[in-house]
Amino acid sequence: MDKPKREAILDLAKYVNERIRVKFTGGREVTGVLKGYDQLLNLVLDEVQENLQAVPEGQPTTRNLGLVVLRGPTITLLSPVDGYEEIANPFLAQE
Amino acid sequence: MLPLSLLNAAQNKPMLVELKNGETFNGHLVNCDNFMNITLREVYQTSAEGDRFWKLKECYIRGSTIKYLRVPDTLLDAVKEEQNRAREAGRSARGSHVSGTGARGRGAPPRGTPVVQSREVYI
Amino acid sequence: MAGLQPYVDHRVLLILQDGRAIVGVMAGFDQKSNVVLSDTKERVYSMEEGVEEIPLGLYLVKGDQIVLIGELDEAADKAVDLSTIRAEPLPPIRY
Repeated sequence: MDKPKREAILDLAKYVNERIRVKFTGGREVTGVLKGYDQLLNLVLDEVQENLQAVPEGQPTTRNLGLVVLRGPTITLLSPVDGYEEIANPFLAQE
Repeated sequence: MLPLSLLNAAQNKPMLVELKNGETFNGHLVNCDNFMNITLREVYQTSAEGDRFWKLKECYIRGSTIKYLRVPDTLLDAVKEEQNRAREAGRSARGSHVSGTGARGRGAPPRGTPVVQSREVYI
Repeated sequence: MAGLQPYVDHRVLLILQDGRAIVGVMAGFDQKSNVVLSDTKERVYSMEEGVEEIPLGLYLVKGDQIVLIGELDEAADKAVDLSTIRAEPLPPIRY
């Protein structure tokens, strides 16, 4: 059951040129098109949109950031935008 | 039993992960590494407040952001069983060479093998 | 520095940074104090009602979230009728 020690468990190559969602420690969240990455999970994203948290009424909930380098150490979660959707409570179905 | 052994044995099993920010992720474990970074598939994400839900095809979660993981109860016995079987297989493979030095307590691996079980924990 | 080995296979109480009190049998631990707990139950304290015990199964708790691990005196614990206990829940740790 031994895996090669240095191989990353996430193969980012499959997300290149796809839009991904990234969350950070501190609560920020962005989406962007993956252009590059390294083993430390530093990322280069293009057409980046930050989804603002705790926005007062009437204010925009996103802001555009263009081409961005995201630092790996602060990344907490990563997932593709494709297949990501908000749903109703999925746990009620078991009643 | 080491937490990472349990996690490695949980591959393909369903689990619940709560992050430090209170969000929870229910999904099947695809892979994990020594930092406890994990990848999940068929994920249901719940907001920290418990009022919003999302479905994700897959996601990667940094180990450092995990508060805890909940795994199927059957996993504990499955892993202990596996470890016993591996130990028995190792013993019979070594045959007559292990005599006299057998008393190593909890069946620790023979000297020379990197010992993963820790005896001293510094918190 | 005390090791956690003496607690293995014993019922322990874990207090987490968010103030949660968790009871379970310690099945294992590692150098970073990550802990495997089986037959885990969360004890929710309140001033209005008795202690609510929520069964949670097999848990892997990250070491950096653990504030306290105490070996439970099972005889003394069994003698306590949880429905009579009234207590304020612990607040999250503040630095």
